[in-house]
Amino acid sequence: MMTEPILEVKDLRKKYDDGFEAVKGISFSVAPGEVFGILGPNGAGKTTTLEMIEGLRTISGGSVKLDGLDVQRNPYQVKERIGIQLQSSAFFPNLKLVELLDLFNGLYGQNSDPMELLREVNLEEKAQAAAKELSGGQKQRFSIATTLVNKPQAIFLDEPTTGLDPQARRNLWELVQQIQKKGTTVILTTHYMEEAQILCDRVAIMDEGKIIALDTPDKLIKQLLDRGFKPHTKVQAATLEDVFIDLTGKELRD
Amino acid sequence: MAVNSRKRQMAALRGLTVASLKMYFRNRTALFFSLFFPIMFIVVFGFIFKNSTSNFKIDVTNKSNSELAKQFEAAVKKVPAFKVKEVGADQAATDLNKGDADLTVTIPADFGQKAADGKLSESKVQAQYNEAKPQNGQAAAQIMQQLAGNINDAVTHAPKLVAVESSGVKTKNLSYIDFLLPGMVGLSIMQLGIFSVAFGFISYKTTGMLRRLQATPIHPGNFLAAQGITRLVMAVFQTALLVGIGVSFFEFHLAAASILPFLIVSLLGSVVFMAFGFAIAGWAKNEDQAAPVAQVIQFPMMFLSGTFFPRDSFPAVLASITDYLPLTYLADGLRHIANDGASLWAIRGDLLGLVVWGIVAGFIAIRLFRWE
Repeated sequence: MMTEPILEVKDLRKKYDDGFEAVKGISFSVAPGEVFGILGPNGAGKTTTLEMIEGLRTISGGSVKLDGLDVQRNPYQVKERIGIQLQSSAFFPNLKLVELLDLFNGLYGQNSDPMELLREVNLEEKAQAAAKELSGGQKQRFSIATTLVNKPQAIFLDEPTTGLDPQARRNLWELVQQIQKKGTTVILTTHYMEEAQILCDRVAIMDEGKIIALDTPDKLIKQLLDRGFKPHTKVQAATLEDVFIDLTGKELRD
Repeated sequence: MAVNSRKRQMAALRGLTVASLKMYFRNRTALFFSLFFPIMFIVVFGFIFKNSTSNFKIDVTNKSNSELAKQFEAAVKKVPAFKVKEVGADQAATDLNKGDADLTVTIPADFGQKAADGKLSESKVQAQYNEAKPQNGQAAAQIMQQLAGNINDAVTHAPKLVAVESSGVKTKNLSYIDFLLPGMVGLSIMQLGIFSVAFGFISYKTTGMLRRLQATPIHPGNFLAAQGITRLVMAVFQTALLVGIGVSFFEFHLAAASILPFLIVSLLGSVVFMAFGFAIAGWAKNEDQAAPVAQVIQFPMMFLSGTFFPRDSFPAVLASITDYLPLTYLADGLRHIANDGASLWAIRGDLLGLVVWGIVAGFIAIRLFRWE
């Protein structure tokens, strides 16, 4: 790591009262401006890890430092600097999008222009719509807008494209890349391999509470091939999803 | 940084309060249900009993010829709300049974007799009402009690502390609406506190909104304060609406001087029942867990706290147990203020009861709170 890491996780653990150990001592660092992915099956401990970093869950062992601040000792200062997108998050259903952004402005002590934020996520026309009127893809885009209210140094996205159709998924990928271009660090979890491959500079593969591999996607694939791996299916130049996009068009349908 | 973060927290508190209030007033279904029952009861019962209690029919049977007895009978006849008939004991009993009399008053033969030392012995008057029509009889009985109290003071020349306060009420025509409406205000406050908090808050949990709010820098205390302020505003709104309906259409009596104490007690009641709501919502994981607990708490109180009908007809054990229910303290307190013009100091017993319940519920809420 050439520069100071923006996020440093050391030997992080989470053990519940019933004895279940969700996270069994993981360590990683994230460089500023990186897109860092945590990849793994359901139940691997990805969400729990994210929640501990975000201050939403108590830490059983180890430490988390964001921009030099210890998350356990300075939870509020950490919260001021990060943006968070939760896996399942609804917003006050009867409030309009602008009103919700006003609310988040207040909660973060910010003055961000709601229309500017909506423009960034392509929801400008929906500014006066109520939150309950949004489609799945629009909800995800809106929740990304709420993560940007406080101009964060790093945003944490928990499975940002789960449940979205292919068009919405690709659009969200473009959004993440736009955000990265502006210098914001992105840490995301996913169980979509393709997503990790396309978006992430580096990937940590998690299973059963442990990190079993951490590297760039290309290096991981090279290591696999070096081990003598032969793919089961024939790898074609295009996938079925490409067919779908080609036939239905890349523009968003919501 | 400290000054800045104080301002930020206040901004957060204000933003969240405004957002919560907008949510309340835009959620038509919740609004409808929290106001529906109290208003419906007021309207239905108000119309049923509208004209039935402008006058009380009193049968007086005087078996004594003491000076005091004559004075007492004269005092009874003087009450404008009473239509008094002097009858014999048998006639009185028949009248009561047939409903021709709301209250029979029997002045026994030894009433007003002096003991050997020349002092007046305690003189008792028997008042009976028909249990099948309690509201008229009980209201009349209350007036009789005040009458007796006044006479006591006159006879013993006791300083007239009590007389001054209640003299204004002696001639007031108290109807059922004056009993019912404070009960309904109490009921609506209880339902607001328990349901709007328990279910409103629970939906924050189940939708993930609570977690999202927890992820922002707002301090938990300010978060709760926002919820509290929102509910208090709602309580004022509901109370004003119900009292407005009562005063405009059903001749509910609330003196101008009593409006502020009435409101204050309503707010205190709101805080107490909010604590109950948070205890339920903080502990329950979802609506399925919250609903039965909420019902177990509020349903018995709906009927046992003297909101629709007085508790006077309860068996003694039940009456004394229900004395200590939070809704009983609230409804009784509100009723004393509206009917008797009582001050906050006068109902301090009820207020104390409410505060104790608030502390208990708050303590439970804090202990059992779960963020998800």
